[in-house]
Amino acid sequence: MKRLTSSVTDGHGFDAVLVGVPFTFLFLLSGLPLLYNVLMSFQEVDMFSLGSFIRPFVGFENYADLFRQPETVPILINTVIFVLGSIAGQFVIGFGLALFFWTNFPGASWLRGLFLVSWVMPGLVVGAIWNWILSGDFGVLNFMLREMGLISGNIFWRSDPSFSLWAVVLANIWLGTSFNMILLSVGLSAIPGDLYEAAEMDGANAWHRFWTITLPMMRSTIGAIIALGLIFTLQQFDLFAAITDGGPNNASNVAQYWAWDLSFRQYDFGRGATISVIMTGFVMLAAMVYVRSTRHEVRG
Amino acid sequence: MTNQIELSGVNKYYGAYHALKNIDLAIPKGSFVALVGPSGCGKSTLLRSLAGLETISSGDLLIAGERMNGVPPRRRDLAMVFQSYALYPHMTVEENLTYSLKIKGVKKAERKKAADDVAAVTGLKDLLSRYPRELSGGQRQRVAMSRAIIRNPKAFLFDEPLSNLDAALRVHMRKEIRTLHDRLGATSVYVTHDQVEAMTMADHVVVMRQGIVEQHGAPLDLYDRPINRFVAGFIGSPAMNFIDAQSSADGRFLLLDLQSPQVLPAPASLPPDQRVVVGIRPEHLRPAAGGEEGLEFDVAAVESTGSASYVTAATSPEIVVVLNERSAIRRGERVRFAVDTRQIHLFDATTGQRLDVP
Amino acid sequence: MSDTSRDRLMLVVALAMAAIYLFPLYWMYVTALKSGSDMFASPPSFWPTSPSWGTFAYVWESRNMGRYLWNSIVIATGAVTLVAVLGTGCAYVLARYRSVWVDIGLFLILMLQVLPASLMITPIFVGFTQMGLLEYPRFAVVLAIAAKSMPFFVVLVRATFMAVPVELEEAAQVDGNSRIGAFVNIVLPLARNGILVSAILIFMQAFGEFVYSKSIIQDVSLQPASVGLNSFMGPNTSEWNNIMAYATLYVTPILAIFVLLQRRIVSGLTSGALK
Repeated sequence: MKRLTSSVTDGHGFDAVLVGVPFTFLFLLSGLPLLYNVLMSFQEVDMFSLGSFIRPFVGFENYADLFRQPETVPILINTVIFVLGSIAGQFVIGFGLALFFWTNFPGASWLRGLFLVSWVMPGLVVGAIWNWILSGDFGVLNFMLREMGLISGNIFWRSDPSFSLWAVVLANIWLGTSFNMILLSVGLSAIPGDLYEAAEMDGANAWHRFWTITLPMMRSTIGAIIALGLIFTLQQFDLFAAITDGGPNNASNVAQYWAWDLSFRQYDFGRGATISVIMTGFVMLAAMVYVRSTRHEVRG
Repeated sequence: MTNQIELSGVNKYYGAYHALKNIDLAIPKGSFVALVGPSGCGKSTLLRSLAGLETISSGDLLIAGERMNGVPPRRRDLAMVFQSYALYPHMTVEENLTYSLKIKGVKKAERKKAADDVAAVTGLKDLLSRYPRELSGGQRQRVAMSRAIIRNPKAFLFDEPLSNLDAALRVHMRKEIRTLHDRLGATSVYVTHDQVEAMTMADHVVVMRQGIVEQHGAPLDLYDRPINRFVAGFIGSPAMNFIDAQSSADGRFLLLDLQSPQVLPAPASLPPDQRVVVGIRPEHLRPAAGGEEGLEFDVAAVESTGSASYVTAATSPEIVVVLNERSAIRRGERVRFAVDTRQIHLFDATTGQRLDVP
Repeated sequence: MSDTSRDRLMLVVALAMAAIYLFPLYWMYVTALKSGSDMFASPPSFWPTSPSWGTFAYVWESRNMGRYLWNSIVIATGAVTLVAVLGTGCAYVLARYRSVWVDIGLFLILMLQVLPASLMITPIFVGFTQMGLLEYPRFAVVLAIAAKSMPFFVVLVRATFMAVPVELEEAAQVDGNSRIGAFVNIVLPLARNGILVSAILIFMQAFGEFVYSKSIIQDVSLQPASVGLNSFMGPNTSEWNNIMAYATLYVTPILAIFVLLQRRIVSGLTSGALK
């Protein structure tokens, strides 16, 4: 007993306690649910069997059913469009802004930080604001586009099946751009200035310098940011809840929203779990890319 | 004289890596011991094991006669000066100095007095209310020293405390630390990679390599009688010249393997045709007087510091000569250098061990 | 062009870009101040000509916002406390050592950080139902949010601890501290700012959390403000000024904290996410 106490006060027992408790907590509340999810994807779980521990085992029935459903493929395609569209928009605009603020005029870093308000706001509020901005008859976006002569009639962003997914993409780009910009700024400022001086001495113009120094030096940052973007877009839920609710008729539904919808609106927890398992697999893949690209940080 | 610190058969493993190999060492009370060696030799690990920041894997560690294996640092009553100084950035100089007293439960007034006393000795009197970030490098170093002194510990441990200072301050602090050590009658263990620091400060130098104590003894003993080729090369600056050689058939001469064979009289009669390594310190070569025997070679470069001249010979292996004077020797000249046979060191060609001349 | 005039030009362009970027936020405030008929005016006015401040009081009363916000605060505070208490020590250990085990621990943490709440809610909900945790829905949500945000907190705070030199802790031990003493007296005070900033970030996230609360808390009187906002926005609502007033009351405190602590939050965030 005495040895145990002295290990906790003076030795590695201290570390073991500090790290053991949180990992146990995380195992119970994240690890177990993950495993439970896989189990449920092989079971039939509905309102009636929800509370019981022994449920009918259906093998791969849930998976097979899922791919027989007509909406599955469109929803998966929507997910891909949502992810690619969001990441592309966030990254391109974020990189542009980061390059602009990199010129470092007085007030640059403060203003740059201000952009991050879009990221700290609750997703549901962001969704509510964009819902209003994108409103068909009275939305301010339609008004501006009309004034600029880009459109003649109003676009019904939320209710037109060919626009509803893009409405969420638009809001998501707004939400995530600032985070991309901040991280890209960090990457930019880590490039040693003398590289640019050396390149200038070698006769490279701004265009050359961007392609031959900035981009190659930013490679691992960019990799990490794209992976993070993938992770964040696949986590996006609130915007769907606040703007389109996946509609009309699943035109803007994506896998992560659908998984919740199956479980909590259709009470088909087994199938909700199945979609979750599939998507979790994708997210974990993205996470591994992220971990790889920040590996030098992990090593300290 | 009693031993303040005693190590016997101490081993330290990091997984499969054997960091300290069977170390035996006794540090008498009141002595100043320097641990030197190239980086990775285990000197810092040894010091940290004394402090209790690393636990030794086997062997015995005694401090003031008490077995200290596995005793946490706070119960060892040793003070340590870190390379980075490790001053607590959120505390003033005074709080830094008296932190250990505060933990011990010393009253505030007494702590204040102790801080004032130490500050008077180390010249920090006007800086007591400052924060570490407001101090210069040298001042921080003093605070780190004072923080150790105030404890009146069983021993002082120094982990390369001067390596972050500029050259002039380093030379100054060398003397100051030694003076403080003598005044306090303390026992000090001093880790450094700089053999000049070790030679000038310590009573006793311990040369380590790859977790092994290669040799320990008084500084000048190490200089005069290095036990093997490694210690010979490590102690002394510039480093000793090593030349492969063979004794002559009658054992009275050394045939040196420079590009062109050269001959030196052997310090004593050797077995015939034995392969050896000859070691000659750069400062022990001098221009030969007329007719004197010695080594003759073309000069490849002459560098002068003003007070001394460094002559590099165009031989293979390269030979360096230090002359404590301005020299008229020019590059490209052919010069003959003489050496006193008593200052020639001989090492076994295969083991590198010193060959003692009977 | 001289440097100062270049700087000024850049600043003007930057301000213009910020104005465009932050327009949605501005639009929320402007709409909240409009009356029911102003809101649907065409062309819309971009300046609240006759601000109707009464909307706020009306929305606060009619939507019972005090109760919603209180629930949000309770949930966020609970989650932050749990995360900070458990996560700080974990981050410290992961920052202090380098070994295969630490790498594995970090890898697990990073993996858990990325799990989407909308995917995790199914097993969590079913599990909680079976354990009877749904009897205490706010507590259940606190647990779920804590598990979701602790990895992020650990990653951020670990970066803070990495910046505290290990020698300080060793010096404290040689000076007479135990490991616990050195951690509490030396390491924690030096990492305090980083821990606080990370805790604030977690608080903001938990304050706006939606998926878990929406799925787990059925009782309206226990729901947080995000769920309240969601139920306010029916599919065919036309009360946009009221909804924007609700949103304003909801996010303005968060935005105020953010603007005040902006520099610290941004640097804390960036040191953790990449380096």
